[in-house]
Amino acid sequence: MQQGVIKKRDLGKLIAAVTAASSGRRVRVYAPVEGETGVELREVTANTEITFDYANSKLSGKGVFFPQREVLCTFHNDSLEEVPLIEDSLVVFGIRPCDALSFKLLDKIFFNSTSRFKDPYYLKRRENSLIIALACREPAATCFCTSVGGSPAGKEGADILAHELGDKLLLEACSEKGSGFMKVISELLREPEESDLTESSEQNVKAGERLSSLALSGIKEKLDKSFEEPDWDAVTVTCLGCGACTYLCPTCHCFDITDEENGRREGCRLRSWDSCQYPLFTLHASGHNPRVNKKQRMRQRIMHKYSYTVENSGDIFCVGCGRCITYCPVNLDIRDILNTFARK
Amino acid sequence: MESIEKKIREIAKDLFAGGKIDLFIGYERGTVPLMSRPSFIHLKEVKPEDSLDRLVWNSFCANNLAVFLPKLFERDPLSRKKEEAKPRIGIVVKGCDLRSIAALMKEKQVPRDNVVLVGVPCRGMIDRRKVEDMLSGEEVADYRESAAGVLSVTTRKGRKESLKREDILQEACLECRYPVPEKKSAGQDGKYVLEANDYLVEGVARKPGNGGYGRISEFESRSPEERWEYFKKEIAKCIRCNACRQACPTCYCKECFAEQTDLRWIGVSTELTDAMIFHLIRIFHQAGRCVECDACYRACPMGVDLRTFTRKMVKDVDELFGYLPDFSLEEIPPISTFKEDDRETFITEP
Repeated sequence: MQQGVIKKRDLGKLIAAVTAASSGRRVRVYAPVEGETGVELREVTANTEITFDYANSKLSGKGVFFPQREVLCTFHNDSLEEVPLIEDSLVVFGIRPCDALSFKLLDKIFFNSTSRFKDPYYLKRRENSLIIALACREPAATCFCTSVGGSPAGKEGADILAHELGDKLLLEACSEKGSGFMKVISELLREPEESDLTESSEQNVKAGERLSSLALSGIKEKLDKSFEEPDWDAVTVTCLGCGACTYLCPTCHCFDITDEENGRREGCRLRSWDSCQYPLFTLHASGHNPRVNKKQRMRQRIMHKYSYTVENSGDIFCVGCGRCITYCPVNLDIRDILNTFARK
Repeated sequence: MESIEKKIREIAKDLFAGGKIDLFIGYERGTVPLMSRPSFIHLKEVKPEDSLDRLVWNSFCANNLAVFLPKLFERDPLSRKKEEAKPRIGIVVKGCDLRSIAALMKEKQVPRDNVVLVGVPCRGMIDRRKVEDMLSGEEVADYRESAAGVLSVTTRKGRKESLKREDILQEACLECRYPVPEKKSAGQDGKYVLEANDYLVEGVARKPGNGGYGRISEFESRSPEERWEYFKKEIAKCIRCNACRQACPTCYCKECFAEQTDLRWIGVSTELTDAMIFHLIRIFHQAGRCVECDACYRACPMGVDLRTFTRKMVKDVDELFGYLPDFSLEEIPPISTFKEDDRETFITEP
């Protein structure tokens, strides 16, 4: 079964079915819920009320696979104890296609077939995961996914793409894993009717029309040759130097590893998110800091996403979710920066 | 509003033409609805006067612009020159921005002679989040504010609402005690930050508020356990992005305690105890310096209620030491000085 329709009110049954079919392994299902800070991606049960009324969740889905704080091992005196990898099955429901695309990009950082390096923590979670993305009906004014290779009904990075059709969802398998999952829940699904398919494709077209688009052709080359341009001063002058953009960004993936000890020779080795916007990020042990001001740090963030990763893996590491635009305390808009250099 | 906007542009133009400033800081239209953003206009721009039309004044100029000043007077770490000429800056200030600048001048972070202040009486700024809440999260497509103080908004779904200003102003503005950046008036003693060479644009301001002490008294009346739980619940939302710290004009330390690695005071992660210590120390460092502008609260992407904690601090300093940062440059903040009759009961009888 490649496509199927499920009633929204049957999602609880779907969650129960997934949990039952897990053959002993613990299943964690994440879904968008109205929370204290806005729409949050949270672990849910069959009874949790899942929300559909949002442009995007406040925090991206990256934390499911790459948590902001992760203990890698613990120590006590001279003994070291590994923290076992998380073996649970992870089902992520209702993230937007931009966030699903971000997983595909993050995969290239944390493991890839050509690299010697495979991040076991991220890899394990990803191997045991299933991504059910939810196509956008009403993208926000800050969204620009189509300018960076995404789409409101994008399937990349998703195993299943869900289209919201009133009180029901049209599910569409986009990977082998997705097809397998559709089999597991086939009893809850009915064959889609012609009208369901028309409605969903009309919705996709409408959603696409709402999106603003940027002319980003050749942006990498343009940025590369503008590295020393004085424009960088002007476009970054209001930056406060906080890390809100990087922490809310679905593709920012820099981390720090620190040891935390409690004074009694016990503690843990910790991996936590870090941000290129912080001065400490590039501070050398010698005291030298190659990126000493906010212009250099913001330029790094833009270059990393639109030039360096293009060089390394062929991908722009921005999915156009617009979170950095919505939540920047001074409304420093990444679209303005890109437009400045795209015009060059 | 429009006349204020015109006046700000005129003043900026005169300042540039008279060779009095190298840089003017005001507000310009933002790219998201209900938000104006900081605007920097440099003398070195080919013709700064052509850029001056960018400057706006409306109900969305919430950012506290004082935050930029300490950095602009900091020595450029890349510079090899021994002495560097300090920039001369014209800056638009509301009451809160001006109180921050007074605090910064007292702490010698901003040289008085290098800034020209353009004071603007403030009617209060509209809270984007309140508007969004009233529209149950619907995105604003278009908005217009009438002279009578009604914000007409149309959402992207086509819903139309007329919102009364008083219902959607930021709490900080509703509680604001100093909506007008005062100049010293006849008969007043002391050195005031707004001097004869500065400007005070004519306009209507809101009636001064009460500082929100009533709200804090209510908070104080709860049991220590309840207050602790509330603090924990709010700080649990924190993602340690430092937006609160970076948006705060009086958080200008070149090296924050949170980033010191030798010795290290706190962990870097979102572990609740680390986040709590971070906020406790940051807020304590604001004792007698916080001007209640709520820049921290506005900047927080997660909506942590920092304003209850900062305001509690302000009230404590006011009650314990009789100090409230205002427009005067004379009185030294309690954290920088010592008096024999300072109360110490908070140490001996907590």
